Amino acid sequence: MNRKRTLMPDAFRTKKRRFGADNLIGNPEHGDVQEGPPDVKATLQYLMTLFPRKLFNDSLPQIVLKHQLYSLHSDKTLVDKQVNELRDQGELLMFQLGFDSDTFALVFSVDYRAKVLAGEAGRATLGTVEKFLDKVLPCCSDLSFSKDKMLKQFLFTDAEITQLVKSGVLTVRDAGSWWLSIPNSGRFTKYFIQGRKAVLGMVKKSKYNEILKTDLEERRTTSHVKLHMKYHVHDIIGAELVECIQTTSGTLLRFVDT
Amino acid sequence: MLSFLIARQTGVDEPVRLRRAESTRRVLSLELNHDRDVECIHGNGINTIDIEVIEGRYMLSGGSDGVIVIYDLENNSKKPHYTCKAVCTVGRSSRYVHKFSVETVQWYPHDTGMFVSSSFDKTMKVWDTETLKPAEVFQFEGNVYCHHMSPIARKHGLIAVGTKDPKVQLCDLKSGSRIHILQGHRGEVLSVKWSPRYEHILATASTDSRVRVWDVRRASGSLFTLDQHNGDKSKASSESVNTAHDGRVNGLCFTDDGLYLLTAGTDDRMRLWNSATGENTLVNYGKVVNESRKGVKFTVSRGCSPEFVFVPCGSSVAMYGLHTGELVTMLRGHYNNVDCCEFHPDYQELYSGGKDCNILAWVPVLRHPDTEDEGADSRQLFSTFFTLWTALD
Repeated sequence: MNRKRTLMPDAFRTKKRRFGADNLIGNPEHGDVQEGPPDVKATLQYLMTLFPRKLFNDSLPQIVLKHQLYSLHSDKTLVDKQVNELRDQGELLMFQLGFDSDTFALVFSVDYRAKVLAGEAGRATLGTVEKFLDKVLPCCSDLSFSKDKMLKQFLFTDAEITQLVKSGVLTVRDAGSWWLSIPNSGRFTKYFIQGRKAVLGMVKKSKYNEILKTDLEERRTTSHVKLHMKYHVHDIIGAELVECIQTTSGTLLRFVDT
Repeated sequence: MLSFLIARQTGVDEPVRLRRAESTRRVLSLELNHDRDVECIHGNGINTIDIEVIEGRYMLSGGSDGVIVIYDLENNSKKPHYTCKAVCTVGRSSRYVHKFSVETVQWYPHDTGMFVSSSFDKTMKVWDTETLKPAEVFQFEGNVYCHHMSPIARKHGLIAVGTKDPKVQLCDLKSGSRIHILQGHRGEVLSVKWSPRYEHILATASTDSRVRVWDVRRASGSLFTLDQHNGDKSKASSESVNTAHDGRVNGLCFTDDGLYLLTAGTDDRMRLWNSATGENTLVNYGKVVNESRKGVKFTVSRGCSPEFVFVPCGSSVAMYGLHTGELVTMLRGHYNNVDCCEFHPDYQELYSGGKDCNILAWVPVLRHPDTEDEGADSRQLFSTFFTLWTALD
């Protein structure tokens, strides 16, 4: 089949597209690109299963990075739109993790609430945190809050804001403004960056700086890689740190030198 | 495609629909053609290409060696194999040639008797095409990164110039004066573009990560600054509030109808903006590799139904769908970095120039006659038409 023809949209196709061995219309479980309109919620739920809860003693909600969705769906704009819709409905929360201005973490609101309240149980700051979760999160889907907003719009006092920062729900951004954050997520960020570096190193060290995706997923992970290998693979593909090339033996990941 | 032809013939569809459908099909099948060549004159990289709007016949190119070449793109030989010959050049031997690299060239929008070139030798020269001598030389204090003349202007003859100086200068062709300046940027101005819809609207991009849109008739500052977060101050870190990109903004391009503006920045992102409101349409093109220290010259297709953006990415040209953001294809063929590309709207061809001193012509693939259609008798023909009629509903 002439490869050029696959680039033309339906209006110009003279023959029906033949489904060959390399056109796998798989479930997200197979890690292949989906056909048709992307179902972001289902993909999110699949990616959440890759998050290791045991590693953090169940104290963290399941975190997925926004760009991991791009590795499973080809149309980035539609994915962004659906994520924003879910955020507006209040089902999804987005966070800035702090190590890259472009990387966003996604957590289901239900999970977040459960874990934060569980972490706060028995502490003095429980009341303030509950108030914050009930008042602020349902109505405001911002990533950061300024002092003005906290004091005037949501009527928190300075002491309460300090309590929120102590509990980990807010992190300092700069003088007078705070990022919304996940309590105890520092370890996650550390393991994530470490693991990403290690996985990229594996790709780089391979011959010709490229490796088949299935091979990479089966490699024995060093002690530096604490999160699931598939989690990291989705991350490096989505962040375009490796180039995805379709071959007859499957997907090839080639390191992108920038 | 037959359905489009029949619909046009019977009047069911407007003529422009067939034209757009065929243009889009042609743009989707761009590839390097053995039969089309552009003569290799430049000894050093090619920085800029411009095709004149009136006939689409002559192409200007400016190189890193200061040389300017004019090519004739029309194929008058009866053979399919054709090399676009250089009609004339302003070579190193000319007395008036630029001393350093030519960064931008542009034909005078109303006829080919004149063209303007700007260069790193801190000058902008207005050339007479006939004699190849500069009719006017504008001197500046810093390297000139780019200039642009409005393609639709009737009431003014202003050339907007972006230099190392944060002030954007407007030079008047009719009077030769350059007193009009636009203040507001805090870094070098890497790209300037007039709107193809309103002759007084100008967009400028700078190393301070901001893109400003100006109305040159206004005495006070810019109309608005493009904000990548659309005013959502919470999303950004405090430094990147009100910026168009997280790095230097080095490429600007209006779509043909002037309704949208594309910007490219060194944060490896390309963004599509609504040019009337300055709103970020949030189309996600993914990582558009951009390491250029100076301006990136990219272009948008014209006359197609989903429009396409052609961006130089490393040593290939990437083609994205304008409103969907998906990567359609990468046009590979250059041996070194591609610096500029230009779309020829009449023939749906793309010309790209780069550091390998070549200008490559990307030509749509011709449709091959289908072997099944030969030998169809009249009854078969009738049934084909019948099914097409029903398909038109």
